[in-house]
Amino acid sequence: MNDSARVLVAHQLHKRFKAQEALRGLSLGVAPGELYGLVGPDGAGKTTALRIMAGVMGPDEGYARIAGKDPLSGDPAVRSMLGYMPQQYSLYGDLSVDENLAFFGKMFCLDKATFSAQRERLLHITRLGRFGDRRADALSGGMYKKLALACSLLPKPRVLLLDEPTNGVDPVSRRELWALLFELVEDGMAVVVSTAYMDEAERCHRVGLLHRGQLLMEGAPTRLMAEHGNAATFEDLFLAAVREAA
Amino acid sequence: MSGFITRLWALAKKEVLHMARDPQVILLALGMPLLLVVLFGYAVSFDVEDVPLAVVDQDHSPASRDFAARMDESDAFRIRFRLESEAEAEALFRADKVKAALVIPEGYARSLTRGEPTELQLLMDGADGTTARVAVGYASQMGQLETLRRVQDGLTMSMPLEPRVRTWFNPTMDSAVFVVPGLVAIILAVLSVLLAALTVAREWERGSMEQLFATPVDRLAVVLGKVLPYVALGILQFMLVLAAGAWLFDVPLRGRFVTVLLAVILFLTCSIGQGLLISMVTRNQQVATQVGAVSSILPALLLSGFLFPVENMPLILQVISRIVPARYLISVLRAVLLQGRSITDLGGPFLSLVLLAIALITLTTLKFRRRLD
Repeated sequence: MNDSARVLVAHQLHKRFKAQEALRGLSLGVAPGELYGLVGPDGAGKTTALRIMAGVMGPDEGYARIAGKDPLSGDPAVRSMLGYMPQQYSLYGDLSVDENLAFFGKMFCLDKATFSAQRERLLHITRLGRFGDRRADALSGGMYKKLALACSLLPKPRVLLLDEPTNGVDPVSRRELWALLFELVEDGMAVVVSTAYMDEAERCHRVGLLHRGQLLMEGAPTRLMAEHGNAATFEDLFLAAVREAA
Repeated sequence: MSGFITRLWALAKKEVLHMARDPQVILLALGMPLLLVVLFGYAVSFDVEDVPLAVVDQDHSPASRDFAARMDESDAFRIRFRLESEAEAEALFRADKVKAALVIPEGYARSLTRGEPTELQLLMDGADGTTARVAVGYASQMGQLETLRRVQDGLTMSMPLEPRVRTWFNPTMDSAVFVVPGLVAIILAVLSVLLAALTVAREWERGSMEQLFATPVDRLAVVLGKVLPYVALGILQFMLVLAAGAWLFDVPLRGRFVTVLLAVILFLTCSIGQGLLISMVTRNQQVATQVGAVSSILPALLLSGFLFPVENMPLILQVISRIVPARYLISVLRAVLLQGRSITDLGGPFLSLVLLAIALITLTTLKFRRRLD
């Protein structure tokens, strides 16, 4: 796939935090309608990679592009093409579900009709409709993540970046979240999900195994398994790759 | 532009919701000013009243008794002990029973009658320097008055030149009238810096800043979206303090309210800019609180002219005080509230406040990077 077909491109990303090198030349590309899994142990550099691609952090070297544009530029058009859900709780806990949605709707300058339609749709698909008045910090872990996802989907982004969205979420909510992601991908959205769960990684169209800031391998999970025939499970494959790299 | 306004309005509205839902903010923002104005208004007093006095009357004459009685009749002194010797007075000083002792030497009345120079001795407890200084002032004034009275009696004619001292704008020299305008600046400085510093630091700590950065919001909207609601809160605090000052201490408003309001808005913009700047650098509520408290209280208290006149400070401190917004607010408040002066007389302080406000908001906006690193 050439770069022109990719709506999200990361090229040779390097990032250092004092003595620690978080990213060491990470490159990847994601096409519209593709679900990309960024898999790796804690400290592999997943969050840093997503932050740089979301334009909330600058790389030391390399660049990220969303539909050919620099997410760091602050151009509102790029921002509106991008949905980003950080790993940590990042909504306003003392605001209700409706107030959080309304606030982020205003940040994306959605007009009243568009916001209203998006709000209805997102509350419906996230099944949060009944909880409009509930404060965000009174929601369960799974519901909170769904609200964060709904907020990031408000501008109908072309690229969605999710940092460990199912971390601390119960199995039922996890399944619902993944079902939702597949719906979004079917609609043509490019989605990047970071995860430490191997069963989730296997559901992605393509995965990148990230270890110490570098991709150890990348490809469709089934192809990777076939290429490394001695691994019984995807988790074995992953662990073997990490051991080899160490 | 319309996008900017839409986002600014949403940010400001969100901030108001945070404030309204946080009882600590309400308590700090509205309870503290009232508490401080009452505490400071009553406690920070440069007035000296009822200083406990011991009289050592070694003359035992009608004239000596007369002078001691005049001291007692004044508001400044109250006779607590009548003694025979200075040594007894010293014991009372050490026991903290008296702060002053008046020694009237033997022969006082005789010297007066003969028209000879007469000395009265006033012993003061210098451990309490402020009281001692003011009380000595009162006492020497009484001594001069007594002299004048004697001279008048002796010559049975009116004095050709009689000093009549009138203090304008605060005729009773009431401390509270002088203190409350300064207190407004202290309260607004401390609370605005602290609240503004906390609000941004809280967003950093809770992670909402990261989500905000992923939206098209620009940094000026984020900064102003924080400044505007806190300016409104500051105006509310100002009106509360002013009302409490008028009600409890009869602090007047002789000039136009709009003049002081304008100065308060400019001052609040400076203080909130300072608070935001602190939290953008520290990104931590605990550190922001400490830096905010020290950087607001000390300059506002010591370099603003609230406690010590700026003109009496060493040159270096006078220069530093030029970038302390409280200095200008205090001079505007005293000029408008007590002297009834108008904005046209106060071009200097207003210009300084405008420049400081622009500088701080520009610096804050530039320092505020829409990035986590």
